[in-house]
Amino acid sequence: MVDVFLLIIAAIWLAGSCWRIYRQAHYYQIEEYMSGRYLRWVMSERARWLPNRPLIALLAAIVFTFMLVESDDGILMFIIGAVAAIAAAYPARVTEVKKAFRATARAKRLLGASFVVALILGIILFWLAGRVQIDGFLEARFVLTAVAGWLLFTLAPIALVLGNALMMPVEAFMRRQFVQRARVALAEIDPVVIGITGSYGKTSTKHALAHILNGRYKTYATPKSYNTLMGVCLAINNDLAHDYSVEYFIAEMGAYIPGEIEQLCDLTHPRIGIVVEVGPQHLERFGSLENVARAKYELIKGLPVDGVAVFNWDNPYVREMYERDYPSTRIAVSREAHPAHVPPGGPRFVASAVDETLDGLSFTVHDTQTGEQAAIVTSLLGIHNVTNILLATAVAVHEGMSLADVARRVRTLQPAEARLVRKTTAQGITILNDAYSANPVGIISALRALSLHDSKTKLLITPGMVELGQLQETENRKLGEIAADHATDVILIGQKQTAPIEQGLRQAGFPAERIHVMDSLREAQDWYQTHLQAGDTVLFLNDLPDTYST
Amino acid sequence: MSSKRMTTVGVLFGGRSVEHDVSIVTGHQVMRAFDGERFEVVPIYIDRDGKWYTGDVLNDLKSFEQDIPQLPGVQEVILSPNVNHHGLIVNPLPSGLFGKSQIKRLDVIFPALHGTHGEDGTVQGLCELADIAYTGCGVLASALANDKITSKVVLRQHSVPVLDAVSFTRAEWEQAPDNVVAHIQSVLQFPVFVKPATLGSSIGIARADDEAALRRHIDIASSFDRRVLVEAAFTGGVEINCAVMGRDSAVDASVLEQPVSWEEFLSFEAKYLHGGEGMKSAERIIPAPLTDELTKDIQELAVRAFQAIDGHGTARIDFLVKPDSGEIYLNEINTMPGSLAFYLWQELGMSPRDVVEKLVKLAQDAQADKRRNTYNYQTSLVSVTAARGLKGVKGTKQAAAPRTE
Repeated sequence: MVDVFLLIIAAIWLAGSCWRIYRQAHYYQIEEYMSGRYLRWVMSERARWLPNRPLIALLAAIVFTFMLVESDDGILMFIIGAVAAIAAAYPARVTEVKKAFRATARAKRLLGASFVVALILGIILFWLAGRVQIDGFLEARFVLTAVAGWLLFTLAPIALVLGNALMMPVEAFMRRQFVQRARVALAEIDPVVIGITGSYGKTSTKHALAHILNGRYKTYATPKSYNTLMGVCLAINNDLAHDYSVEYFIAEMGAYIPGEIEQLCDLTHPRIGIVVEVGPQHLERFGSLENVARAKYELIKGLPVDGVAVFNWDNPYVREMYERDYPSTRIAVSREAHPAHVPPGGPRFVASAVDETLDGLSFTVHDTQTGEQAAIVTSLLGIHNVTNILLATAVAVHEGMSLADVARRVRTLQPAEARLVRKTTAQGITILNDAYSANPVGIISALRALSLHDSKTKLLITPGMVELGQLQETENRKLGEIAADHATDVILIGQKQTAPIEQGLRQAGFPAERIHVMDSLREAQDWYQTHLQAGDTVLFLNDLPDTYST
Repeated sequence: MSSKRMTTVGVLFGGRSVEHDVSIVTGHQVMRAFDGERFEVVPIYIDRDGKWYTGDVLNDLKSFEQDIPQLPGVQEVILSPNVNHHGLIVNPLPSGLFGKSQIKRLDVIFPALHGTHGEDGTVQGLCELADIAYTGCGVLASALANDKITSKVVLRQHSVPVLDAVSFTRAEWEQAPDNVVAHIQSVLQFPVFVKPATLGSSIGIARADDEAALRRHIDIASSFDRRVLVEAAFTGGVEINCAVMGRDSAVDASVLEQPVSWEEFLSFEAKYLHGGEGMKSAERIIPAPLTDELTKDIQELAVRAFQAIDGHGTARIDFLVKPDSGEIYLNEINTMPGSLAFYLWQELGMSPRDVVEKLVKLAQDAQADKRRNTYNYQTSLVSVTAARGLKGVKGTKQAAAPRTE
């Protein structure tokens, strides 16, 4: 009888552990199944690796068991053990989730393997617990089972990591197959491949270029921000494969580690490459801006000698790439250079008379090589989009479109998803949504756009910028200083990581009562919905993944 | 300089038309004109029954003396209307263990087809469905130019002079031949020409000097077409041809030619089969011996007529002219002239290579122009109808929103 009781208790712990594995898989997925990053995240907070409730439940169970040690009643012991197991392992309510867990084939394989690991681990632990016999002390087995169950529950992240390790060879094989499929599909369609890389601005530049080129050529661009090897393969296998009408394929190329872009070039063989910006994004992974630049330059090295490279001349690191002599055709663009004073060997496409209003941007693009110019008008906000449009123009003109064609296409260009998208709510509040990966260039643009509004209240809601390495504090302080000039109210999400922003705001003399520090986006939304009125403006700047503590 | 790959051009020739053989010759002239360094030319032969084939041996005119499907490397193909295929499906009905369909992507289609099922807008319609650039006139211009009855209406509207004519259907003719003849005689005077409405060549066309001949020729003409045209005969003049090339407002006219065999009326043989290669050796005077003023008038009319039917690419426009009085009538528009009127462009310093490449460029520009049109509008019609049930659906006036890419 006792054994059955123990088995039931063990089963509850095991079920709870599996559920925890399932929950944890979400965070593991956000960390892109990188065990190091995931475990670092788990270990960064005590409550993550040693959750309170199970620990308290275990301790309570032990205390109760000892208190009732006299009764020697198996059923009572069972109830205590089962209640403790349920109290410990019963899943917590899910709080705000920004990016839901995606049950991809890989995630399912991982969960399956992790459950098996948990089961084996459970059998070992419970077997060990059952082996310990203390004469005349029946309760010891209940205590030990509870400890074993708690251990199993606590080790759920390890089960996940072990499950992943177990699946590694399978995943590697599947990945190779998937990449190979993409390689074959791409070779069959054989479009002109355009690679776009940069620390930021990739998606907006891609979006603008795809729209412009589509005015003349059938163009397909990787959707959203797909920019990893697997993301690009997914785009090829799901959408590009078997579409023989595609003439241009635009691949966004991101890099978290050196060598990733080289891999992407090896897969796609770009003929045209665009480097948008080199900046401190993901600096903590690269160590230095020079390393970031080196990683981006892999795209240029991946072009054939007779390929075409397009550079943002305004960024010193990118300009340095332009000044090297590969490949033979290199085009630079600048929104800062003056068309009348372009130095020899300087940028070919430059902007003048740049103007930004709430209706969007307008500027004149000059082709300093031919002397042609065209007036560009777009509903896009954000001064950085001038650079993005210039880069896209350079490619389009090289591919045979006229500046007039380009200008006509740009008129119908819409912002990419959550990139400084402006809309008005039913209450009449204007929302500027710039929720994707705020970066030092983008935030200035976004804040400028905010200050264009003549609203009484201009509210900035931001959790700050992350992954900027040793520059993170400086850049966030700068964000605070700039925000002080452009916003009337600021909501900072997450006390710890936004401290430098608050410092910057205070340094710039921003009134302290207009800085609100909150714990979650939900809270911030509630606040502005009660405090703001029609005509006011809110800027959402950046949005951190669920793994960032708020 | 664009980074694009070599342009693949599919040249269509043969066809389900009485001008099948002429088209084979034109097709080969076109294929030979392309620069193999910059263009990959795919021969696509349509046999008399309408079966489509490709294969390297189709580049050789001698192959056509043999049974095409039996030749080595010849494969059956279809032009897919699926825009994602963007070209041919090679071996569309595979059989056997190793049989496999394949896609052969085409960047441009070059129809070198004459007459029915090729020059009349049908193949052009297939190219439109496939969303592939194609040389020459579009669906409307091809169909219009091919139709001697409707083109007169459109050309008159654009002040292009045409000969008076009477038209009727085969059914009208069969039910009440006397009424038809009476009507013709009330409008026109003998001699007249009887023509099927939509045949490209001279087949079925005959001159009638009296009522008996008229009845006989209408019987013949109505066996070629559902609609018949009887036109006032034009006597005492010459035939003058002028080719045009371009699209929209940028249309150029060639020098004029005067076919010398006009007096005897061009028989089918004289027009096409006399001499080895298309029209190259048919007798003609280039440039036509007309005054500069008359030449200019004819060239202007040619351009105006081409624009009136919304032509693109090229056409050869045939006029009937009385050089003494200066009277000019447009006789017909050939949207797929034999040999593409290479010999007329040569006078302007354009080689056949220049002509085909210009036509490809025009086709690509026209295709780019089409990309400016929005075809995709998303409406809530289907979901609303599904929710409401099909009964009671009247209009389709749903709020339309452009599809965001």
